[in-house]
Amino acid sequence: MQYKSQAVAKPYFIAAIGLFVGQILFGLIIGMQYVVGDFLFPEIPFNVARMVHTNLLIVWLLFGFMGAAYYLVPEESERELVSPGLAILMFWVFLIAGALTVLGYLLVPYSGLAEMTGNSVLPTMGREFLEQPTITKAGIVVVALAFLYNVGLTILKGRKTVVSLVLLIGLAGLAVLFLFSFYNPDNLAKDKFYWWWVVHLWVEGVWELILGSILAFVLIKTTGVDREVIEKWLYVIIAMTLITGIIGTGHHYYWIGTPDYWQWWGSIFSALEPIPFFMMTVFAFNMVNRRRRNHPNKAAVLWALGTAVMAFLGAGVWGFLHTLAPVNYYTHGSQITAAHGHMAFYGAYVMIVLTMISYAMPMLRGRSAANSEASQVLEMWSFWLMTVSMVFITLFLTGAGILQTYLQRYSSDPLPFMVVQEKISLFYWMREVAGLMFLIGLVVYVASFFVGSRQPEATAVVEGSAA
Amino acid sequence: MNTSFPTRGLIRPCTLVYALLIGLTCVTWMIGRSGVGGPGVSLLVLGFALLKGHLIGDWFMGLRDVRGIWRWVVAIWLLVPGGLIALAFLLSFRG
Amino acid sequence: MTAEAAIQQQRRGLAVPRFPPGDLAIWIFILAELLVFALFFAAYAFTRMQHIALFDRYQAMLNRDAALINTLALLTASYFVMRGVVAAREGQGRLCARWTWAAVGMGALFLVVKSSEYAHHLHAGINLSTNTFYMFYLSLTFFHFLHVILGMVILVAVALKAGRGGYTPEEHTGVETGASYWHMVDLVWLVLFPLVYVMK
Repeated sequence: MQYKSQAVAKPYFIAAIGLFVGQILFGLIIGMQYVVGDFLFPEIPFNVARMVHTNLLIVWLLFGFMGAAYYLVPEESERELVSPGLAILMFWVFLIAGALTVLGYLLVPYSGLAEMTGNSVLPTMGREFLEQPTITKAGIVVVALAFLYNVGLTILKGRKTVVSLVLLIGLAGLAVLFLFSFYNPDNLAKDKFYWWWVVHLWVEGVWELILGSILAFVLIKTTGVDREVIEKWLYVIIAMTLITGIIGTGHHYYWIGTPDYWQWWGSIFSALEPIPFFMMTVFAFNMVNRRRRNHPNKAAVLWALGTAVMAFLGAGVWGFLHTLAPVNYYTHGSQITAAHGHMAFYGAYVMIVLTMISYAMPMLRGRSAANSEASQVLEMWSFWLMTVSMVFITLFLTGAGILQTYLQRYSSDPLPFMVVQEKISLFYWMREVAGLMFLIGLVVYVASFFVGSRQPEATAVVEGSAA
Repeated sequence: MNTSFPTRGLIRPCTLVYALLIGLTCVTWMIGRSGVGGPGVSLLVLGFALLKGHLIGDWFMGLRDVRGIWRWVVAIWLLVPGGLIALAFLLSFRG
Repeated sequence: MTAEAAIQQQRRGLAVPRFPPGDLAIWIFILAELLVFALFFAAYAFTRMQHIALFDRYQAMLNRDAALINTLALLTASYFVMRGVVAAREGQGRLCARWTWAAVGMGALFLVVKSSEYAHHLHAGINLSTNTFYMFYLSLTFFHFLHVILGMVILVAVALKAGRGGYTPEEHTGVETGASYWHMVDLVWLVLFPLVYVMK
């Protein structure tokens, strides 16, 4: 660790992993409720558990992004953070607000929560993924502003690099687009229209910039390839991301009451959204092949490569599957969407945060570059367990989705929703088993932080030809 | 690269190419103005466009001095949408 | 290329590059852009098959003279850009800047003419939802319009740097990079013009 203030990243990473565990537990609960409808009834209804599952995901990823930024920015800017104290204060504000919100979901009926938190003053609740009480949303804005001030000022005062500027643009975009969560028009079509400005333009726009810059940072550090080469790739990737991603929002506008032309715009531009992800894959492998040194933190390099591959598969390929309007006409809102959502979030955003944690945590815990061999072996096991489980979750949901689409919507003799759900329940069972495997992988991951802490650091193996 | 741009002589080859591009454009415009249509005319106009694109790639983008796949990258690009457009127009005349 | 061929080529004093002029990154970008336009063109052609009468009727209402001026403007700009590259190669930075500025001027002419067309449509109350032909016409040309603007921004950056003497005969990748992007903008229009304005 080159700068003292980078240490503020550590609590953010720890909180992220903690909430990740929570997210997976709730995922298993709703996975079970798919097949055993009254599981945990009446304590935890499905809609509440699903809300917790998705909200925890977003919140822990935000913790991860913030931690990543606090670690990355001082090193790129070559100076200490403007205010480490503010970063720690905001950590606690965010964590407590997040915990209270989740407790609110679990302990109070949702309508009661809305009443308690004064939703009627500025109604923003009740919309998928944006279920947070209005005051929580305001809190998120405060935390985001303080965070942007801290990180932005550090970047502006210090050395400016492409990596840090792309990260800053991504983070600023994240904050600005979140403001649309406060816009809640009465017209349902308009409501959905702007709702996607948060949801889509986050995950298929500005978050990709954050992903790209973190990936570039880790690759610069672990491969020793010239910064100029990596930055050039980053430029092209983000340009493609923005061209395809912004108008690609149109693939959500097909059947919600918007004008017809969105079917064309959405289909054409979003069909190209896999390109930046594909470029990211080529980029990551290219840089690792051209590496000037073998970094002792093999686990971090594995996560980085894994991110590039899984993001392309999950976001790129599985997104493309149902992005064309004529296809989406049948698959809209089916289990295909769920399959895509799972692998895209895991492959792109979960894995990039874990990449950064894997790279930074050893230094944050006092190592010079990497964890011990034993700890890394365990971490790599967890990588494979979680990643393979996610592939299976995705495949089972895709199978369920194809069958569902056919039986319920495409066949000449369509069946009712619940009849179809019965018929595809085998897929849901298998998905739940894969989910359990994922949980085991996650336990192994957490364990890797406690194993081999006293053993010496792993050293880079020198390869004759590759170096 | 010097072969493309001789400094001796009255007119550079690339200037001739430019004149050709202008000429083909004007012919296309006149066809449009005359209001004629049909498979032959449409494909002729499309052919002009592809030829013009190829000239841009070769002479202006400088691909004629490149070897390997990049030499043909613009040509391939022209043929793919060009072929699809031709196919669509031919089918529409049949139907 | 085989070793023998390489030796022969060296003997003839010709170093044939493997990569096109300019930064390879811009070429990756160009390819991606070309792919977007290719999809759009194909979508236009195949959608037209279902609405031939409609497409022919509204195509006839477009201003073909404006399109001619615009095609000539883009071709001329491309020619100027290319002369700018030649000047940069020969170490004449000032000359390169002048050619490039001239190209920017041609780009500006394009924007003015195209904007007047848009103003005309706007005045007539035509928008994306008027009919399928106008949806394609407006989407395609406006998407291209944005590329002209981006291309001009790049050219201005090149012209400014060239004017400051920022390029040498040895190192002028920036000029070639900007030129390649601009030629792509031209290339796309060369297909767009007959497809949307003429072919029926």
